[in-house]
Amino acid sequence: MERTIALFLVKNYNRGVVVVISYAIRRILVLIPTLFVVTFFVFTGLELTPGDAVSYMVSPDVLANISPESLEQLRESLGLNDPFIVRYFKWMGGVFKGDFGYSLSSGVPISEIVFDRLPATLELSIAALLISTLLGSILGTVSALKKGGMVDNILTFIGMIGVSIPQFFFGLVAILIFSFKLGLFPVGGRILPGHEAFLDRLPYLILPSLVLGLTMSAGVMRYSRSSMLETLNKEYIKTARSKGLPEWRVNFIHGFRASLSPVIVLIGFRLPMLIGGSVVIEYIFQWPGIGKEFVAAVRFQNIPLVMMIALFMVFSVLIASLLIDIFTAMLDPRIRLE
Amino acid sequence: MKKIINLVLMVVLVFSLVVFSSSASTNSNPLSDVRVRQAIAYAIDMKTISATLFDGKVIPANSLTPDGEWKVSRLNNYDYNPEKAKELLKEAGWDPNYVLDVVYYYTDQITVDLMTVIQEYLADVGIKITFRRLEGDLPAQLWVKPSDPVNGPASVKWDLAYAANAALAMHEYYNRFKGGAASNSHTPTDTKLDALIAATNETADVAKQKAAFYELQKYENEQLFAIPLYYQQAFIYESNRVNRKGILYGNEQFFYDWRIIDWDVMPDKNGENVLYSNRGPVEFFDITAVNPALTMPNKFLFDRLIVADENLSPKKGQLASEYMVSKDGLTIEFILRKGVTWHDGKPFTAEDVKFTVEYLSKVPQLNAVAGETFSFLEGYNDYINGKSDGISGIVIDGNKVTFKFVKLAPNALLIFSQWPPLPKHLLEGTDPLKAQQAKYWQAPVGTGPFKIGEVNMNNYATFVRYEKYWDKGTGNIEKIHLYPSGDGEENLVINAEAGKVDYAFGKIVENAKAIEKMEHMKIIPINIRYTRLFYVNKFPKTK
Repeated sequence: MERTIALFLVKNYNRGVVVVISYAIRRILVLIPTLFVVTFFVFTGLELTPGDAVSYMVSPDVLANISPESLEQLRESLGLNDPFIVRYFKWMGGVFKGDFGYSLSSGVPISEIVFDRLPATLELSIAALLISTLLGSILGTVSALKKGGMVDNILTFIGMIGVSIPQFFFGLVAILIFSFKLGLFPVGGRILPGHEAFLDRLPYLILPSLVLGLTMSAGVMRYSRSSMLETLNKEYIKTARSKGLPEWRVNFIHGFRASLSPVIVLIGFRLPMLIGGSVVIEYIFQWPGIGKEFVAAVRFQNIPLVMMIALFMVFSVLIASLLIDIFTAMLDPRIRLE
Repeated sequence: MKKIINLVLMVVLVFSLVVFSSSASTNSNPLSDVRVRQAIAYAIDMKTISATLFDGKVIPANSLTPDGEWKVSRLNNYDYNPEKAKELLKEAGWDPNYVLDVVYYYTDQITVDLMTVIQEYLADVGIKITFRRLEGDLPAQLWVKPSDPVNGPASVKWDLAYAANAALAMHEYYNRFKGGAASNSHTPTDTKLDALIAATNETADVAKQKAAFYELQKYENEQLFAIPLYYQQAFIYESNRVNRKGILYGNEQFFYDWRIIDWDVMPDKNGENVLYSNRGPVEFFDITAVNPALTMPNKFLFDRLIVADENLSPKKGQLASEYMVSKDGLTIEFILRKGVTWHDGKPFTAEDVKFTVEYLSKVPQLNAVAGETFSFLEGYNDYINGKSDGISGIVIDGNKVTFKFVKLAPNALLIFSQWPPLPKHLLEGTDPLKAQQAKYWQAPVGTGPFKIGEVNMNNYATFVRYEKYWDKGTGNIEKIHLYPSGDGEENLVINAEAGKVDYAFGKIVENAKAIEKMEHMKIIPINIRYTRLFYVNKFPKTK
């Protein structure tokens, strides 16, 4: 099958594209057993945590009043009394048929819940990823070019603060200043009734995406700076300079491009966040995303929901890893896809 | 000489009988000795803890029953007295090397602080404790009764369990201490205690019930089969946009005659009379099984057959225009109000009332008091066991519904003031075992003054006036907007500060402390039936 596709592609495209596609296909084929193993571990992990969904359906203060027989009935009706391995394969069987099951707490199809929360998370994560990538790589490059100067020192200091400050603290301070003191942005939420267009939602998006983006920028900036410094010391940069190329061309065409490789790796590994969301930011800004849902599902042992989100996350990590390999090979001619 | 010996024997016998009849017997567990339990109560300075740790927002307890008309006066407060505690421990032969295992399940920091303080207080009188938080299947760790409810051994590992006893009906405080009760993992059968508890359940007459509870409280106060610590208050939060027009405040955790249809609210920035609150749905609307009034939407989506006053005493008909209780208390008749409709326009009928009781009877999460009340209905067992299609003790005659009980259900009226009728036409055919999972609970249809406007799960839920509601209020609220808060009080402080909360309620002391500093917010503390206590495991423990 793979060979047929490769032959077809050879006839139609150049060799570089063929290599990338055949590499991608091989990686995707490896992905299936990986998903199988990882989901089994996640399921086992959940099984090992104390209690089950029924333990969390009713408040602990009230549980003392509910008879053990009633709780047992509830467990039976939700299929929680089946052996662990039976439940895992039931779930896996459902996934192969495209049936991701139902939320144990509400009976709503899991797919409905996930696709309901996913747009919110994607919106926030993409905005934050863009902010952090642009800001981080530009400031990191500037910092490297001004090495040892005041700009570099200030940016290094800001970067260190950015890396050190916990997101929740940064988020709360941002709310205090920009929402409560200055009244520029709402304190949280995402949508108001009758105001669901993107422009209506924008004021709600700005603060959380800035907080998330800025905290992520610090890391990108540090990576970008050290990578740029390393690149600027390479022989080919010196050669470019000796050939009389303008300084901006040396720095940005030859230096910046090559320095992006490690930055791409860092950004690539942040891609899964597009699915997983940023739990802390979602909590602080009351953002109805998938990260918040995931934490609640784990807490309440809503296994079908946890498994579905975990499946998405694992899938996105594996895809991100594939994309990183492809992009780094494209950016750095020394790297070859095998 | 023989006479003297006989006399001495007689005195010993009488003394033993008196002691035996007035207190439960002891066993190898030191906590089975009442003197040890009393020593623990004397050793903890709850007044200071209340004033410092809780900022005066809880009330030290001397009984499971909170202060008020249901509690007998002049109970021993067990005021802080470490010397007395040491004396009692000495009398009881307390082993200072014995370490009590204290458990709790709350996740807040204040619980850890409280446990630490109590550890210090008890150490001062020579009692060592360790404390740990339980996780996972709590009933299996806390409430498994021993196979022998008289002699044990215990089926649980702990010595003291810090927990809450939240009661709708007074009976909920004490019924769980009955010998062999389903969740009684802690108190060996005590015939005197059982008789006192039984007396509270034998009458529906409020005066007689109170008298029975008074006797029970005296015994409880002397025996301390559980050690009450403090009464938690509920806090009602109101913004300066709201005017309740002097309507009395009650226990917001339950339904009472709060008449939201008479409230006024000042227009918001869009010029609309919207009441903003929290506790909006995150993934579903809560089923009306455990405690219907605890979640905000249920408060205005549903009416009940009768309405309770602010003290939760049944007051007057709501969906029932009138109701009659027979002299023996075994029959209750409801005449349903004419012209009442569900929010989808379908008429509300006696069939809905019958269906609701039958449906809820099969819902596993149903509140214990409601479940017990329904279980006293004629034909209940046949229905539950599948021998009949319905409960024969619920008889419909036009718009009249009659409930016939085979045994007195002392809380029947209270239950009908809290558990709202559900629409048969929307729930019939759904599985009561998976009641919460029914699609109905994604957008419930009720009979209350507000109906669902729009639900954007986890973002907001709005409710608008139901134009065909049977009662006409004097208030001006056009819409209610709820923000989602899964745990009830999530984001309450931040939303209140941002002016997004006009009305809310809760029990978290830290939230109350934060909100009371806000100029635009008002806090009304309410005494509620919610007692924090130590359950004391008095069964002998296996090694």
